[in-house]
Amino acid sequence: MKRNIQIQLLMYIPDVLLLVLAVFAFVGMFNQYQQALFIVIGLLIALMIIRTIFINNLIRKLYTSRIIDIRTLINAFKKGKYKLRTEQPRGDDALADIHRDLVIVGTHFDNIISSQQGEIEKLRELYDSIVLSLNSYFLVLNEREEIIFANEVFCKKFQISLEYIAGKKIDDIFYFVTGRIKESIQQVKRNGSSVVLEKTHLLSNERISIIADIKISYITVKGENQIVLVMDDITNRCRKDYQISLISQISESIQHDDRLDHVLHTILTGVTSGTGLGFNRAMLFLKDEKRHILSGRMAVGPDTIEEAIKIWNSVASEREENNNVAIEDTAEGKGQELLKKVQTASFDLKEDNLLVRVLNTATSIHIHDASIDSRVDENIKKFIDVNEFVIVPLVAGNRTIGVIVADNKFNQIPVGVDSVDLLSIFAYQAALSIESYNNLEMVQDEMDKIQHRQEAIVESEKLAAVGRIASHIAHEIRNPLVTMGGYARRIIQQTDSEIPKGAQVHKAANVIINEADRLEKILSNVMDFTRSSPFILKFNNINEVIEDTVNLLRNLFQERRVEIDLQLGDDIPLVKSDFNQMKQVMLNLLQNSIDATASHGKIYVETVMRNKKVVIIVRDTGPGFEQDDIEKVFDPFFSTKVTGVGLGLAIVKKIIMDHGGEITATNRENGAEVQISLPLPG
Amino acid sequence: MSKILIVEDEQHQRELYAMELQEDGYEVDQASNGKEAVDMVKDNKYDLVILDIRMPEMDGIEALGKILSRDKKIPIIIYTAYSNYKSNFMTWTADAYITKSSNLDELKEKISELLTTRNQ
Repeated sequence: MKRNIQIQLLMYIPDVLLLVLAVFAFVGMFNQYQQALFIVIGLLIALMIIRTIFINNLIRKLYTSRIIDIRTLINAFKKGKYKLRTEQPRGDDALADIHRDLVIVGTHFDNIISSQQGEIEKLRELYDSIVLSLNSYFLVLNEREEIIFANEVFCKKFQISLEYIAGKKIDDIFYFVTGRIKESIQQVKRNGSSVVLEKTHLLSNERISIIADIKISYITVKGENQIVLVMDDITNRCRKDYQISLISQISESIQHDDRLDHVLHTILTGVTSGTGLGFNRAMLFLKDEKRHILSGRMAVGPDTIEEAIKIWNSVASEREENNNVAIEDTAEGKGQELLKKVQTASFDLKEDNLLVRVLNTATSIHIHDASIDSRVDENIKKFIDVNEFVIVPLVAGNRTIGVIVADNKFNQIPVGVDSVDLLSIFAYQAALSIESYNNLEMVQDEMDKIQHRQEAIVESEKLAAVGRIASHIAHEIRNPLVTMGGYARRIIQQTDSEIPKGAQVHKAANVIINEADRLEKILSNVMDFTRSSPFILKFNNINEVIEDTVNLLRNLFQERRVEIDLQLGDDIPLVKSDFNQMKQVMLNLLQNSIDATASHGKIYVETVMRNKKVVIIVRDTGPGFEQDDIEKVFDPFFSTKVTGVGLGLAIVKKIIMDHGGEITATNRENGAEVQISLPLPG
Repeated sequence: MSKILIVEDEQHQRELYAMELQEDGYEVDQASNGKEAVDMVKDNKYDLVILDIRMPEMDGIEALGKILSRDKKIPIIIYTAYSNYKSNFMTWTADAYITKSSNLDELKEKISELLTTRNQ
């Protein structure tokens, strides 16, 4: 501050000098020292010039360093550095104020930034711990799709170090990468949006296989584009889902499948599919009791490593497309050689080989290295052609029906104890399925036999029915014939005798005539029943048919002392019907009722409209139908009457059926009732 | 004189048999159904019964059982228009099964045969 005052005082020196000179000049003007005056004016001018130069230099010297200070501050601000100097700016002028303010603003910014830095640091820690502790696998690729980061769980799962995979491509780590993953990475790079691939199969070079939901996204870090793959391992969940669905699908497919080959194929697909038990190959042998052999029935699995890779690829992409777990037909068109080999193979049950041993002991065997295991004979070694394999029995109930052989011929993954356990459980289920299929087949066979028998019975029933009808007709015809013949003989006897009795001859002839009438009636009844259905075109009033028939029987009603009660509806529409046939129906029904009704009994005939049908009800006060007979009353040749042929109600039924109607017989409280319903046209 | 019961629902036939048998010297009673026959067997002593099968009220097979339960030894001839009941074991308890014919010779022969055996 002191220095500032000094500088300011210095600045006034020229002014003071100027003032002194001006006084001199003024004095000189009056003292006529003109020469001196000019000198003074010259000095004055020189002084003014010097002053200006001096002051300008002084000012420049004073302010430039401060402006530089401020500029330095601003430059530091531009670089994001807000806290540089603790020294307060000099002076108390506006420049100093600005400088001070700038320093204060800088300090504020610095405070804000340093406090945020702490937050950011904390967030980063949190983020790191989340990434590290998550069970998901993280893989970060750069723009060139080289791996730049993998989290710990990823490295652990796939048994590789971060150092090893850094800079490698995903093709270098995985045994195969499905086209969908590659496409998705390109898509993410193009669009910048995320892609989720569900249930994707991944198999590493170390033969570690997982099913994962993979989320692929694109991020920009420090100006660099990165691709992040987050993989959620759902192998176990899938496996459980799959096994459950597999078992249900197997039982379902058995129910709907009438071919054992399909059933066996389904079972082995379960053993080999990735999300099932995941074996490379599976072979199934069944015990053939009759031929006393263990015979190869089915095999699923590729023949070569190329086929295997193709299958895995196609299975993986199929799974990406379908969310549901399905039994994949992995071996379609593939593994034909294996199938052929297995289907032509058979082992004698007396032979002491590994397969037969498993069959006999019902215990599974796990061979770790066939080349050094003495239990594996040359035959089996050659047949299975792989060092490690598992044989499990197919146990259904208390008997072993076959064995399943499974191996990992192509990816060489060691068979774990849990895989063997799982295969055993699965084999148990499969055995039950096969057994139930066999049972089903047995039942089917029995059913076929029963059906054949039934057909034979129906055939013989038909013959029996023909026989019965023939017997009935024979009986009906024999009686009048016997009577006629008997009386004809009487006539001969009488005419041969010396004194013929005219009355007896006459009576015998009458009997013959009556019986001939009866025969004719029987024959016309039979013919009525066997005639073909007529073409009914006319419309008739059913009430008229009934009145007509009742009039016809008037005498019979009186003779038998049976009362007839007609309750015919007023609004009965015309029915498409044959008048004479309907009259025959009423005649037969009323005659039956008259025969059944004791004298002073009553017969009711009623007509009503019900459910767009004309209903005729005939009811009597007779004993009703025998309960056992009620089903048979409409059968041909069924009769409880002495004189009946047994065709009356059968003819009635046939006519009603020809008219598209229905007829039923029931017992009422005091008598029988027959109901006929006839349809109205349209 | 042997006494025969004819059980037959066909009136003309029944009368014909009665006439013929009476002319042959038998005493003849007539019943028109099984029920009548059982009642008559109760009240009378017959040497032989001729029994039709299909009859109203009570058929011949039921009547056969009832008559035999009353008199085990009475000879019974089933005489019917049915030829197929011959194989029915229900009819085997009868002494003979003859299918009706307008020629009564077979019936008459069987009657005399059975009565001869009975009287021995």
